[in-house]
Amino acid sequence: MDERLRVIVIDDEEGMREGMRRVLERKGFEVDLAENGEAAIARLTESRYDLALVDLKMPGIDGFEVTRYINETAGSHTVAVIVSALATVEAAVEVTQHGAFDFLVKPFTPQDLMQVVERAARQRILIRERETYLTELNSERTLSRQLINSMHEGVIVVNIARKPALMNPKAELFLSVKYSAELSVDQLGLGKGVLEAVDEVLALEPGTEAIRVFREPVGERMLDIIITPYYLGEQNAGAIVLLEDHTEEWKAEQDKNRFISMVAHELKSPLAAILNYINIILTGMFDNQVEKIHEMLARSKIRGEALLDLIRDLLFLNQREAGKVEKSFERMDLKAVLSEQLEFFKVQADRSKVEVALQAPQEPVAVFADRKDLDRIFMNLISNGLKYNREGGSLTVALSVRDHEAWAEVRDTGIGMSPPEMEGLFQEFYRVKNAQTGGIPGTGLGLATVKRMVEEYNGRIKVDSTPGEGSAFTVVLPRASD
Amino acid sequence: MAKILIVDDDQDLLDGQGAFLESKGFEVQTAAGMDEGLAKLSAFRPDLILTDLMMEHHDTGFVFCKKARDIPGLERVPILMQTAAPKEIGFTLDSYNAKAREWMKVDEVLIKPVPLEDLVGKIEQYLSR
Repeated sequence: MDERLRVIVIDDEEGMREGMRRVLERKGFEVDLAENGEAAIARLTESRYDLALVDLKMPGIDGFEVTRYINETAGSHTVAVIVSALATVEAAVEVTQHGAFDFLVKPFTPQDLMQVVERAARQRILIRERETYLTELNSERTLSRQLINSMHEGVIVVNIARKPALMNPKAELFLSVKYSAELSVDQLGLGKGVLEAVDEVLALEPGTEAIRVFREPVGERMLDIIITPYYLGEQNAGAIVLLEDHTEEWKAEQDKNRFISMVAHELKSPLAAILNYINIILTGMFDNQVEKIHEMLARSKIRGEALLDLIRDLLFLNQREAGKVEKSFERMDLKAVLSEQLEFFKVQADRSKVEVALQAPQEPVAVFADRKDLDRIFMNLISNGLKYNREGGSLTVALSVRDHEAWAEVRDTGIGMSPPEMEGLFQEFYRVKNAQTGGIPGTGLGLATVKRMVEEYNGRIKVDSTPGEGSAFTVVLPRASD
Repeated sequence: MAKILIVDDDQDLLDGQGAFLESKGFEVQTAAGMDEGLAKLSAFRPDLILTDLMMEHHDTGFVFCKKARDIPGLERVPILMQTAAPKEIGFTLDSYNAKAREWMKVDEVLIKPVPLEDLVGKIEQYLSR
């Protein structure tokens, strides 16, 4: 120990006090003196001593009382040694009962004194070291506990009796279980396989390396559950169960798989129809019915073209998702954009005998957007409005301004949709399928793409429809500030 | 002359297979979806049904099978399903549990495009049972 030990000598005889002081100071101790119990208590209150040499017989507050005071206030910080002329076993026992560490019998030689003091000093140093160690251990424990509690993973320590000895807040959250000491590992809502693995790990030969990994749905979550043994020295002390939340990733994976399987289905369907026609033609069974063959070829052409459209849409979506589409945002007049789009569809509308019209306010309606995005949004909606229309029907694009928003409604007089048919309308590959839509080609990606794009502009899209009367799609976009 | 009902939401497939099977001597009726198919079954008693899987919903074909088989007299009619749903992505009948398979009651699942000779072969195989 680097610092000097501090000793207080408490004795009502001045000769004894001074004698002990000389001996102790020579040995390197820092020494204070007190001439009676009252003075000793005053000193002990003010400052802290490593050792106290307490004379038993003093007027007023005696040595026992001082020792008791030391034990009650300073506790193990101060090691008390009683100095007394009563050299009996009973006295020694009584002294230690009062909390003293040792006993020095008067009269004594300096060697006697030093023997007792050095023993007490060793005791004091031991106590100090243990205190330091305990403080460190304690803060280390607090630190590990805090670390465990702040982890993103759920942590459960299962003891050898199959009871959770520790559960961090994330584990409680993931399993929807509140920790209590009475819990058993069976009550945590873990799957059978996981419980078996826990038991298996609990039964391992100490020192065996093992790790068991599971991916399981627990409640609303998809968790990775990792189980490892926990050995304490030569003993198997339990199992550590780590819970990792992989719900988001799993959902994204599910979505991706679903999308890929839908894409595969949608790519195969037109090819199946085309190959079917070709195979029928190749059988030669219709060789003498040229119109029939032409009809099949015409349909194959339409399906082939739709397949191309689908591939184009998929590539576009992919590029967009990958952020590969360059955008140039500018302020533009939505009225002009719509007018040009309608102009573009004029020929097709005439051919389908559908009347097109634009209703818009006099003044420009400014929006801030990429022109290509706006073209694609309205091209999709206008094209649908024509495709699902009837001969002699109309397609009206009505633009209006409401507060800070521009409302563009594309209204047709087509076949319309029933409420159940409208459900899922904006989902990828959703297509209304009924007797009237059977022959109309479409990729099933149009409206889903439109919705995504509109939402990228913090806008929204709504649909209103009556079967047999028509549909109206309304795109609402924020207006550009002046 | 054996009677066949084809249910598929792909009009081209209906037209093509319909024309082909008629030329092979079958009496064919077609339906573009589940409801139309069930409506046809009230008057038309097919000896075999060919149905698509993904129509209004991803499993409409199975629902159709269940409902068709529930019609008295059609409990044992062979039902062949043809689908473009890719088995590479995990679509096989095996991926459904036994109870679901029982409920679906399909005799066989064919993957689109089904070669014409296979189609006729399968149809004849089931009709001769």
